[in-house]
Amino acid sequence: MEASRDKPQQPTMQLRVWLRRLVGLALAFTAGTATADDPTTPPAKRDPDASFAQMFGGPFPSSRLFTMPTADVIGAYMLSLSGDGSLLQDPGRLTSAAVVAIGFGDLAQLEYRETGAISVTGVDAPLPALGVQLKLPLPRWRYLPAIGIAVRVGVERDETFGTTKVGEKVTDFYLVARERITSWLVLHGGARVSPATLAITGDSALPDTTLHRTLALPTAGIELVMNRDAVIVGEAAAVPQFRWMVNTGDPPEIMYGLQARLGLRWRLAPSVVFDASLGYQLESSDAMAGDGLRDLVSQWDIRLGAEVFVPWGALACRTVHAFCD
Amino acid sequence: MTKHEWTRMPLTICVAAAVANAQPAPDPAPPVPNDGSAAGSGSASAASAVDSAADHDELVPDNPMDEPVAKPKPPAKPRKPDPPVAMPTVIAAPTGWLLPAGVLYSRTGVDTGGGFITDNRVGLGDVAEFGVSSTDQIRAQGMSTDSPKAIQPYVGATFRMGVGENRLFDHQPGLVLGFFKSFDRSQDDATTRVAELTLVASEHVGDRVALHVGGSFWDASLTENSTAFSLHDERSGIGEQIRPFGGIQVRPLDKAEILVDVSWAPQFCYQCTNDRRIELRPQLSWGVRYEVAPWMRLESGVRVPDIASANLLDAQIYGQVTFTSFVLAHAVHGD
Repeated sequence: MEASRDKPQQPTMQLRVWLRRLVGLALAFTAGTATADDPTTPPAKRDPDASFAQMFGGPFPSSRLFTMPTADVIGAYMLSLSGDGSLLQDPGRLTSAAVVAIGFGDLAQLEYRETGAISVTGVDAPLPALGVQLKLPLPRWRYLPAIGIAVRVGVERDETFGTTKVGEKVTDFYLVARERITSWLVLHGGARVSPATLAITGDSALPDTTLHRTLALPTAGIELVMNRDAVIVGEAAAVPQFRWMVNTGDPPEIMYGLQARLGLRWRLAPSVVFDASLGYQLESSDAMAGDGLRDLVSQWDIRLGAEVFVPWGALACRTVHAFCD
Repeated sequence: MTKHEWTRMPLTICVAAAVANAQPAPDPAPPVPNDGSAAGSGSASAASAVDSAADHDELVPDNPMDEPVAKPKPPAKPRKPDPPVAMPTVIAAPTGWLLPAGVLYSRTGVDTGGGFITDNRVGLGDVAEFGVSSTDQIRAQGMSTDSPKAIQPYVGATFRMGVGENRLFDHQPGLVLGFFKSFDRSQDDATTRVAELTLVASEHVGDRVALHVGGSFWDASLTENSTAFSLHDERSGIGEQIRPFGGIQVRPLDKAEILVDVSWAPQFCYQCTNDRRIELRPQLSWGVRYEVAPWMRLESGVRVPDIASANLLDAQIYGQVTFTSFVLAHAVHGD
């Protein structure tokens, strides 16, 4: 009798034990984790009598790490201008990248961005793109990450080598998520689907060629909040890499490359962020022996940049009484 | 005190408090006259004038015909004293300490070998620093039998980031990941370039001693007659690019330190065999750093550029001056 009574109870007991363990695990995880809610960001005050301190007092959320877009948008009536450059990567030549974003509503922004790619010259030469980024209006639940989607239509960038003309173009469809794990740790992850085009005309050893390839490019980033003003940022992303050698007859290729950056974003003022980072660029997925991580001279560099936020709505309200709250 | 008196006491207190509350409020504080003497009528009109004046940061004079004058501003809060600045280098070797946010650092030096160095940095956000420098440690020779000469100026940029000492837990050493990369340098029909990735830990041992231990990962390139050689190509193992370095600082006096360090630098040989064209050579340095003022330090000592060859005739006596400034830090922090 006892055995028959125990048998039906055993699965129930096990279930209870497992449920307790699960609840305990969830509680432990919850206890060690700060809220995943977005930080509240009051918009810049759009009041004719607002002082400059009120207008530029921030805080202003950024929509990027270094080159990686995040799930956030800069907010309504805001303009973000950012750029970075390096004199070390290609000697004597400033390689630079820029993003100009205008916020629309609290959920979208239009942007001009130089999207990451490695050109045929081997230089990290971002390709221009125009696009729109949207932050999905998801409820603020714990462990539900913020999600952003973006579409960027590539603009062809031409380079000329003697009589040969090379055209490179990348269009992006981007999905990126951001989760605030604790008050000092934020994780970013996403993927980019990029139809890329490489057009070669005028090469004496090749017929005119236009190459198309669609690449799926994962990307990831991390933010470590070090103090009130400084955040250490790390990011790694697969990027399209164009390969072609002049007058060799070798067919051009569109391949996978890798770019990674580690550095800091330092908020000098609420509306000005200074960027400095150490960058690594693996030119190709099949890097030859001797290339790769060991090649400090040509594949590692230091980049400096900045992002400036302009509350254009607040400025317009103060100066011409337009766009006021 | 009798029981009757005990029971009467609370009643007495309550009555006294009620009487006190029933009294009219005292007159507002009289305005302080310009000469600082206490005076004032205490009338209602004066009180309202005070309120009005307070709104406008003005003082009401005794005589209504007098012009109101601005209220003296409260004395500015005394600024916190600037913290001591830990130096980012021992002599040639980097330390695991970073410049505080916004602190400017400039070091300039000469040596008896005709060398000139300058190193200018700025602290970024208490977690990083960026600098531009010119070094005289990179040397080149025509053949292996020639005496190597410094290539200078050899200009490059430095970016370092890390975690300060004791930041994460007690006795945690300061940890810094650093990267130095030079611009192209052309000399003797050859173009050279160097880069160094370093990881260094620094820890105070007591109040007067600090130790620095680290590893550097070097690369260098040499292009001659359109032919390129690089350290990572010519050397088979990754170990050929890695070198340990370190240093020690001892402070026997409050304002003076004794410094010793070992570091490495590439040496180019234009006409050597391929595997000897770029070599890493160890350098030993020792000297004294004297803190003239919190913003100025003088250093002098001896550097032996290639201790592996034990050639003391190659030793150089150097002198350096280092300035630090909190001007930018105060501007950024608004204090």
